[in-house]
This record gives sequence, C-alpha cells and structure tokens, in this order.
Amino acid sequence: MRFWADRPLAIKGLVFIAIPLAILFGALASLYLASTAEERAEADVRRAFAIQRDTYQVHALLSQAAAGVRGYALTGQDRFLEPFSVAERELPPTMERLDDAIEDPGVRQEFVVLEQLVDAKRKGLGDIVRVSRGGADLASSRQALEQELNANRDLLERLGSQVDVIQRKEAVLLDQRRERVDDVRSRFLALTGISALLGLLGSVAAVYLFSTGIVRRVRVLEGNAERLAQGEELDDLPEEADEIGRLAQRLGRASALLRAREKELSESEERFRLVVDRVSDYGIFALDTDGNVATWNLGAERIKGWRAIEILGRHFSSFYPPETREFLPQRMIERAIRDGSAEDEGWRVRRDGTRFWANVVITALRDGEGTLRGFAKVTRDMSERRRTEEELRSAREEAIAASRAKTAFLSRTSHELRTPMNAILGFGQLLEIDEEHLATQHRSAVTQIMKAGRHLLSLINDLLDISSIEAGANELVIEPIGLRELLTEAHAIGLPLVEQAGLSFTLDLPEHEVTVLADKRRALQVALNLIGNSAKYNRTGKSVRLSGRIEGSIAIIEVEDDGPGIEPANVPRLFTAFDRLGEQGRSATEGTGLGLALSKSLVESMSGEIGYQPLTASGVQGGARFWFSLPVLPSAAEHEADDASKKIQGS
Amino acid sequence: MQLVAPAEITSCRILAIDDEEANVLLLRSVLEREGYTDIHCLTDPKLAMRAYVDLQPDIVLLDLMMPEIDGFELLEAFSRHDRAEEFRPILVLTADTTLQARRRALSLGAKDFVAKPFDVIEVGLRIANLLETRILYRRLQAG
Repeated sequence: MRFWADRPLAIKGLVFIAIPLAILFGALASLYLASTAEERAEADVRRAFAIQRDTYQVHALLSQAAAGVRGYALTGQDRFLEPFSVAERELPPTMERLDDAIEDPGVRQEFVVLEQLVDAKRKGLGDIVRVSRGGADLASSRQALEQELNANRDLLERLGSQVDVIQRKEAVLLDQRRERVDDVRSRFLALTGISALLGLLGSVAAVYLFSTGIVRRVRVLEGNAERLAQGEELDDLPEEADEIGRLAQRLGRASALLRAREKELSESEERFRLVVDRVSDYGIFALDTDGNVATWNLGAERIKGWRAIEILGRHFSSFYPPETREFLPQRMIERAIRDGSAEDEGWRVRRDGTRFWANVVITALRDGEGTLRGFAKVTRDMSERRRTEEELRSAREEAIAASRAKTAFLSRTSHELRTPMNAILGFGQLLEIDEEHLATQHRSAVTQIMKAGRHLLSLINDLLDISSIEAGANELVIEPIGLRELLTEAHAIGLPLVEQAGLSFTLDLPEHEVTVLADKRRALQVALNLIGNSAKYNRTGKSVRLSGRIEGSIAIIEVEDDGPGIEPANVPRLFTAFDRLGEQGRSATEGTGLGLALSKSLVESMSGEIGYQPLTASGVQGGARFWFSLPVLPSAAEHEADDASKKIQGS
Repeated sequence: MQLVAPAEITSCRILAIDDEEANVLLLRSVLEREGYTDIHCLTDPKLAMRAYVDLQPDIVLLDLMMPEIDGFELLEAFSRHDRAEEFRPILVLTADTTLQARRRALSLGAKDFVAKPFDVIEVGLRIANLLETRILYRRLQAG
C-alpha cells in the first residue's frame, strides 16, 4: 500500500483510467473472438448442408441421366437424352463446389471414390449413348447394351451407396459442428459474464485505490487544515512521497511552526499578563473605547477594593468622587485622545466609598492603523506618600519650631544672665575708675568683685556659645580664609598672652598660602583658646609654638608647648565640659572649664576635628600638642606638595 | 579739632528705657559722671511712646527685652512717628547678643548696638558720638 501511496498523482490518475479501459478492451476483444468463432462454426454447418445437398444433387442428376439414357437406348428418342445433357452440364461445377467445400479427410476419401464413380458412370452413360446412336448391329449391340445398362445400374447403385456414405459422414460432422456452435455460444455467454464481473471488480478496485490513494488522505488533510485554522494539533499523516504527502508534510511543518510561534507568543503574553496581574503597587487595567473597564489586576483590586467580576464592564467614572465624576473622567479621556496620554493627581474613591489620593495616567491605545482601541489606565495610591510628605512637613515644621524655641530660649537665657551682670560689672567698673575715692580695703574688694564678675561673664558666654552651637542656632559664617593669614592673626592676638606668662611664642607658616573654609572669628576663638591653655598650663617650659600644615584635603593647625603635658589618664576627658583635670585647686589658673568643650563644638560645626597628642623627647613626656583641622578649599589643595614650613620667630 | 563743644553734647536730652531698675541707675550714673544734665529714665515701656513724643529726646538708649512692649516694637513706633529728615539716634543696649537680634534692631532703625554687660567708658563714647552726629546734622539742616 505504501508503494501505491508513494506514486505521483499523475500515475495514480493513469491507473484509475487504465483499469476500466483495459477491462473494456479485454471484454471487447473476447466478444470479437467469440463472435468469429461462432461465425466459423455456423459456416461449417452451412457448408455441411451444402455438401449434403450437392452430393444428393450428384446422385439425383446421375439417376435421372441414367433413366433417360436407358429410355433413349430403348426407344432411340432424343428427348430421353435431356436429363443426360443436364447432368453433363451441371455435374462439373457441382463436383467442383464439393471439392472446395469438403475439408474433413474422411469425407474427402469417400469423395475421391465418389468422383471416380461419377466419372465412371458418366463414361458408361456416354458409351451407351454412342452405341445407341450407331444402331448398326442392333442385335449384337442389344446384348452388349443390355450388359452395359446393367453394369451402369450397378455403378449407380454403388454411387448411390457412396453418396449415402458421404451423407452419413457429413451428417455426423454436422452434428459435431452444431455442438461446437452451441459450445462456442455458451462460452461466449460465460465470457461476457466474466467480462462484466471483471469490469465491476476493476471499477471497485479503481474506486478503492482512488479512495486510499487520494480521497481519504485529502480528507485527513482537510481535517488537518481545519485544525490548523483552529490552532489544534494535527493528525499524524504517513509521510508519503506524492503531492498529497508533501502537502501534508508542509502543512505539518507549517503547523509546527505556527504552534511554536503561538506558544512563544502565548508564553510571552502569559508572562506579561502574570507580571501585570501580580503588580500590587499599581492598579493597571484597560478600558474600552467607551471608558468601560475591560481588564483588572491585583493592584487595582488592592487599591480600589473592587474585584474583577464586580467591576468589569462598568464605566471608570465609578472611581471618581461625586464632585469630579461628572466632568473629570470625560476630560481625561479627551486629553488622552488628543495628547496620547493624560496624567492627573487627585482624590479617588474606593468601593467602600473611602477616598484615597491617587496618581492616574490614562494612555490611548491605538492599533497599527491608528484606530482607537481603548485606554490603558495606571493608578497609583499616593496616600502613603502624601502622608509621608505631610509627616515630613510637620516634622520639619516641628524641627523649625523647636529650633526657634531653642533660639528664643537662648536669647532669653542670654538676656536673663547678662542683665544682672551688666549692673554688677558696670557699677564695678565705675568704682574701679574712681578708685582713688575708695578706702584701700574697698579697692581690693572691688578688684575681687570685678574678677569674679568677669569670670562669671566668660562662663556665661562659653555656656551660651556651646548651647547655641548645639541648638544649631549658632551663626557660623563659613568663608574662604587664607591659612597663613589666620595663623598670623592668631599669633598676633595670642602673643601678649603668651609673653605675659614669660614664654616665647613661635609661628611656623606653611610655605604657600592655602585657603580653608571656616568661620574666621570662630577659628580664631579655637586657636586662641588652645594658645591660652598652653600659656596658662606651661609652667615648667619656655615656649609655645603655633604651626599649620596640609594633609590631603584638610589643614591642620597645631599648638605645642614644652610644658608638663597632660596626664595620660586624663586624656579621654579633655574635651568634656566643666572638667578641669584636677586643676581647680591651683588658684593661678583661670578658666571656665568649658574652653576645650566649646572648641570641640566649634571645630565640629566647621566640619573639622580636634585632638591631643603628648609630645615625647627621648622617651620622656615633653609637652602637649593640641591640634584641630579645617577643610581646605578644593582648588587650593594642589599646594599640598609644597608643604614645607617656614619659621618665623614670634617676638 | 572739635566740631562740637562738649557742653553742647552734655546738654542734650537723653531718654533711657530699660525695665531693669539697676541698669537704668547704672546708665544714669555713667551719664551723670560724663556731665549730662538732661537725663530721663523709664522702667515701664508702656510709657515710652508718650515720653518719646512729649520729651522729643536727642537720643534714646533702648533695651530690647522688656515685658509687654519690647524694644523692637518701640523702634518701629519711633520710626513711624519721626519725620524722615529727622536724625534722632537710638542706641540699643541689650543682653541679647544673638546675630538675629543685632540685625533686626539695626534694620528697624537703631543707629548703634551695644551688648550688655557693656563697658561703661565705651557706652559713654558711643553716646557722645551719636549726639555729635545729630548736632552736626541739625546744623546742616538749619543751614
């Protein structure tokens, strides 16, 4: 069957036509053969009849001729010769016909005998006639004639019996031939029947082949085409080599390709759908061209409270609060159609009627031809952000208010503490000025009052400074300042203080000017505080040294002395307020105990650091080094490489 | 070279406003010691405006932090009252040394600003300077 299916359609068509045609030709040929056979048999029969008739004719002609000749011989009347002349005329063609007709060898044998007998008879009869015409010796001839006549009569009898023999034999042959005709006829009938049957079978075979080779497969193919159209999987078709087979294969390949593409497409669509569906922070959904909800996602359900089955098909104005429902949705749609998309931020309502602050973007969806297909709507619940913003705003306002309150408190405190100091120091100063009017003991009392009063005032000032820095209410004026300028100024201001303590004051300037970012007044305050400390506490050494250097993007200002330094145990508490490291007992040292704490606050408020390092000379502690840093203005940092110091003698 | 005679300065009318009795007394002592004779002191800021209008002082020494009516309000009221061409200096004397206070007071028309506790000599000099300016200004106007 496979071999058949593999043949091309042209061959198949040829076969379908050839089978019935061959059968038809076969049937016609057999009919022709049968009819010629019948004809031949019938001719044989006719010939047998002719032979019988002719043999009988020969016998009849000779009998009549014999009777006539006898009559002539007896009477001598010529009229008795008539049959003899008829026989003489008729016999040769008749005998010739017989000679032609006879085929059977047995009959021909008899016919040869008959021919001799006929010839002998004709000779005998001719002799009699000649004798009778002579008439000379009638008497003697009479006898001879009598003899001759008798002999002729015998001959005729023998002839008659020979004719009978032929007749009989022909009769037998006739019977045989008749039988053959019948036989041929019945065989012809049978052949016709068989032909008809073969024709029928051939047609059935052709139809079967047509069906198996073409129709059934075309039907399967048709089914597959239908499945292809519906995107279903195709029925398996054996891979025959003919046109239908190839068509089926191509269809199969097309289907595979189509299904692969469809799968890819549907997978990507599915992925996209899943992504959109699972987005819970954004409500993403589609509207049809009339603004009715066409799709819904998790985020939309979460934000708006509607479930998909409840909202699909409803107009999206349901999401708007009553005051904007009448005009805003329509306006959004119009803007989206005109500009491609429309964005809006405002109140929307949930299913339960509660409101939320939303950011909404509506985008018009158009197909390849630009026809509007609907809208995509992305809704974001901004309540959280809005709340956060409001919280941030109120926190900021609170912070500002707190800062204002702190500032107000500080200026109040400043006022409250300074106001009495004003009277104390003011009157004290007046007394000092006019001290020649005072008694000696009162003078010293005024001196003590003024000393204590000034101490209290510096305490108050430091305290207020620290507080205002910590409250952020400190007014820093950060500006670019030359480091050399700053150091030189600090040296100049600090010089009297250091000299008063009987010490020398050295200044080491960086070779190049470097610009630092700082509040000049505050930076000077810090430097002077450190210089003042060195002058105050260096009671064993001889000098104080101020220097500046650059380290990367920072400038470091150092104040060193060759005094006793700081006890290692006290170092951690150096920059703590009101901790004077057990120095309180020394009446000679003045100070509020706030200087380093204030310096630390100031330096840190200028984005710098402050620190202490003990100085060691040959393993023995040999002085204190306090330093603080300030940021360098970036463009000036290139002078770092030339950070060689230049010594300037203080006094 | 003295443009203005010291007597002309010390004869100027001074109005001092401070809610603190001790401070008012201190100012009076300082001023009297400098030789001023026409000194008017107030500890109740509610009376300040009335005194300002009635006395037409040559200079006002004004505290900022006072109950009920503070110095800033008085500064505004004074500048509203004065004609534009008038140069009537106001010296603010305050224990509030914050930058905001300084800026605000100067922008509201104060001619000078001294932090408390002040140096009595410095205050005397500043008052004298301001009065000298006022006298020269009036001379120019009188022309």
